[in-house]
Amino acid sequence: MKVHNVFGPVDIAVSGMRAQGQNMEVISSNIANARTADAGQGQPYRRLETILRTQAEGISPVLVDEVLPDQSPLQSIYDPGNPLADSSGFVAMPNVHLPVEMMNLAIASRSYQANAAILKRYQKMVETTLELLR
Amino acid sequence: MPQPVDIVGLLESGIRAEETRQRTIASNIANLETPGYRRLDVRFEELLTKALRSRHAAKAGDVKPEVFEPAGTVVKANGNNVNMEMEIGAMLKNASRQTAFVRLLRKKFSQIENAITIRE
Repeated sequence: MKVHNVFGPVDIAVSGMRAQGQNMEVISSNIANARTADAGQGQPYRRLETILRTQAEGISPVLVDEVLPDQSPLQSIYDPGNPLADSSGFVAMPNVHLPVEMMNLAIASRSYQANAAILKRYQKMVETTLELLR
Repeated sequence: MPQPVDIVGLLESGIRAEETRQRTIASNIANLETPGYRRLDVRFEELLTKALRSRHAAKAGDVKPEVFEPAGTVVKANGNNVNMEMEIGAMLKNASRQTAFVRLLRKKFSQIENAITIRE
């Protein structure tokens, strides 16, 4: 007898909220470190990106698969007075672009709200069903 | 041979399990920021299934809910693995289950009362 892994709407919505919460942590790290020229080992901060995946096939909760560094090129700012400047006077800066991060933040927070709305609506549905037992 | 279903016993043990679960959820939420705290959960449904399927005539009322520390949640840097959204989801499920059990129990009792009350 095949047993299907049945996920209820509550579990799935909660997983969405958790994933977006972790996504927001990543976004806030990017924003906070948008101008961090030294993140250790002589390298500036490199933008991080959240990779999501499903937990199962078909109807499934979402999980944060990995948080990976963005491999797009770092920015290079001409600032010869900076103690971190190289011989040509350029300083490597993070590949973080604030408009992109703010857009991602808006998307993450809308997604979080949508998942919370599912929780609320589902709760109302269950309460309606339970009213039948009064 | 299947055992006769003790509805009142099942519902009562379900209510007890949900009460225990509510306490663990409250403890988890209260310790949201406590360093080193691991979240608690209640093991009950599996124990109940096992007891009902066993050959011994185990009553539903004998199955006690067990509080345990589940593995599998991400542990933050301060050793704490409580996640607010997960506890809220657990709270919603707990509240609706408890309401369902209590109302079903009340229906069952009024059914029994109807059966034993002689109406003039």
